[in-house]
Amino acid sequence: MRDYEIVYIFDSALEEARVNEKLERYHALLSGEGRGSVTAVDHWGRRKLAYEIAKKDNGYYVVAHVNTATELLPEFERVLKLDEELLRYLVVVNEGDLSTTPAAVPVPTTDDEEEE
Amino acid sequence: MARQKKTCPICEMGRSSLDYKDERVLSRYVTERGKILPRRISGTCARHQRQIGTAVKRARYLALLPYVAGGEG
Repeated sequence: MRDYEIVYIFDSALEEARVNEKLERYHALLSGEGRGSVTAVDHWGRRKLAYEIAKKDNGYYVVAHVNTATELLPEFERVLKLDEELLRYLVVVNEGDLSTTPAAVPVPTTDDEEEE
Repeated sequence: MARQKKTCPICEMGRSSLDYKDERVLSRYVTERGKILPRRISGTCARHQRQIGTAVKRARYLALLPYVAGGEG
């Protein structure tokens, strides 16, 4: 069992209910029956893409934290690749230092300490 | 003239790791064209420069940062 972070980018034309439905279906592949659990799901919502993906300018971002068995991932990814309404996804190992929302940016302290 | 010693700006932020989803932080370490800044410019330490590399590449894949910025797009 390992902790993973998964980022999904859905077609922004999808309704939120459809997105939730899809997420439920995907996460069922990774959790349940004591195989693992979904620890957090965060909807970022619609956002502009930095570049076009499949001729789309916007995407619906969802970040999920999952604790699951490594053997379940290949089948999970196979299913994700079949979904044409999922523009893109990324699965990374979470070393325990990632948060689902981007951390608040501390004000950059550029002023160097003056030393006498 | 002694050169001023640079200290790593990410070490100074006091966070050990860098989040690839935080494109506001990452955008400080890419040029306006979207290229990753070299260490001699950004002044980051080796560990953090490596983390920037991975983080920027992940962020690009997720369309949080552009592969090529500027120009007509």
